Amino acid sequence: MSSPLKGLIRFQPTLPGDTGRFAGILSGFILLLAVMPILTMIVMSFSGASNLDFPPSSYSLQWYQAAWKTFVSPDSSDVLSLGQALGTSLLVSCLTMVLATLIAVPAAYALTRCEFRGKAVALQLMSLPLVFPMVVLGLAMLLVFDSLPFHLTTSRLVIAHVILALPFVVKNCTAAMLSIGTEVEEAAQMLGASPMRAIIDVVVPLMKSGILAGMLLAFIVSFNEFTVTYFLYTIDVMTVPIWMYSRTVSSLDPTVFSFAVLIVLIDFVLIWALEKLVGEGGVSF
Amino acid sequence: MQRQVALHGAGNFSFTEITDMQHPNLTRSVGEAPVRPPRAISPTARAWFFLTPSMLFLAVLIAASLLVLRMSVGTKGAEWTGFSLASYAQLLEPYYLKSLLLTLRLALISAVIAVVLAIPVAYTMSRLQSPLVRRIFLAAVLLPLLVNLLLQSYGWLVILGPAGMLNKALLGLGLIKRPIMMLYNQNGVLMGLVQTAFPLAVLPIASAMRGVSRSFEEAAATLGASRLQVFRQVVLPMSMPGIITGATLVFAYNASSFVVPLLLGGRRVPMLAVMVHDQIAPLMNWPAASAAGVVLIVTTLIIMTLSEYLSGRRRRMLEASQ
Repeated sequence: MSSPLKGLIRFQPTLPGDTGRFAGILSGFILLLAVMPILTMIVMSFSGASNLDFPPSSYSLQWYQAAWKTFVSPDSSDVLSLGQALGTSLLVSCLTMVLATLIAVPAAYALTRCEFRGKAVALQLMSLPLVFPMVVLGLAMLLVFDSLPFHLTTSRLVIAHVILALPFVVKNCTAAMLSIGTEVEEAAQMLGASPMRAIIDVVVPLMKSGILAGMLLAFIVSFNEFTVTYFLYTIDVMTVPIWMYSRTVSSLDPTVFSFAVLIVLIDFVLIWALEKLVGEGGVSF
Repeated sequence: MQRQVALHGAGNFSFTEITDMQHPNLTRSVGEAPVRPPRAISPTARAWFFLTPSMLFLAVLIAASLLVLRMSVGTKGAEWTGFSLASYAQLLEPYYLKSLLLTLRLALISAVIAVVLAIPVAYTMSRLQSPLVRRIFLAAVLLPLLVNLLLQSYGWLVILGPAGMLNKALLGLGLIKRPIMMLYNQNGVLMGLVQTAFPLAVLPIASAMRGVSRSFEEAAATLGASRLQVFRQVVLPMSMPGIITGATLVFAYNASSFVVPLLLGGRRVPMLAVMVHDQIAPLMNWPAASAAGVVLIVTTLIIMTLSEYLSGRRRRMLEASQ
């Protein structure tokens, strides 16, 4: 047999530890199913028909135009415009991101560098929000905030979101800190830096990618959070997911799909950026 | 000496002058390093000082759960002062008991399906070489986890509807004669639950499988095991702790799932979390909602403890055998 033909077929036995073609195709198919609802929604947003048949009978940008119209000149029937909801969403997400990072970095330092009594308890507590039932969290927060003598509106959303995002940020910061040896800190202290300055000037810059990944995750978690917010929103402070739900509670309106595509796009960009940081190491979920 | 060099200019000073030149001081003396007084605070106090800000937020969470516990034994109308177990007794009525069983059953089935689907995906992910493919795989895993559940449920509404994608496909394949109803019943909710919790199964299993060194697989293959045997008798048992963790996470997540049953099940699939909200929003029955919430927390705690015990034992066995 001539060699070019052989190269074309490229018969290579898969070594143990390599994935076979079958496993690769199977997992690709399963992953396709996992993102199917998102893909369907993207296709539907370009539908030219006004029903929910799939695939749509014709394609157009009519729902994007309708969505733009709602954004620019809000219906008077809506309690709250999309612009206001988007503003609230961004404000809450950014505040959550900053706050969660500020409190997670010292916590991560304590959890990685110090041996202390109660460490096991602290570690368990840190991952508690991950497994705590969201509905109960929403209910519980509502009980707490309603029994307070004063009213919080936006800040109660921020407090709830910080709790939800905390495990993700702490996990990323801890992983990043573990990859830095203690010797750099010791060297800084030996050269005369106080322990605090050694942390701020040496350790924190070194774990930048882990902190950034944690910040991105906190933003994504807060921006997409629905369940807890559904318990805590008030009529004049809504986030985008709540606004969308209140709009579609009676019937599904295809303009929602074009908003949804926008949100998915934002999420995808953030996730892609996150993965770039994952590639640089020190990041985990 | 330095001034002399400067006078001579850069070009024309001789070799002797350089060797003659005294080495300028590279470091400047800043006096002796201050002797720090021996640290008065203990490492425990220092660690808890660093932990304080995050613990404040977690304290809100804990205080809130205690409030829920207190509220669940209150009575309607006198939530904070009354005491009765009526709300728990109410949960034993057939309607609520059925809802509890339904919740546990759907969570269990979805956990099994999600883990079975996750194993090949996690194995492929843990053995991928190309960075680009790995990034695409990871993005496809993370999207269902991080994108708003509400949006994904809208997608499911389109897929499962009477004229939706799945019905069209089944009709086209000739498997069914008439469109079947998949929305607003348990099958639709189950599909949604599996899809939204799928990443929670993949991530721990993939990280466990990444920990299984390729040399084990090579050794097994050298000793004559087929690919399937290598996978079933080496990779799977060694990544069992990850598989148990994944199954637990999916179970706990789906037992308290709210958005998916709300949108895909309507009122026909009353899972526990939806009932918690129903007790508040139209009924204003805080004690009943809290009691249902306490049941959710207890269920989660039992499952987590059980899983911790199982995967911990498994891990110790693996460590002992190595």
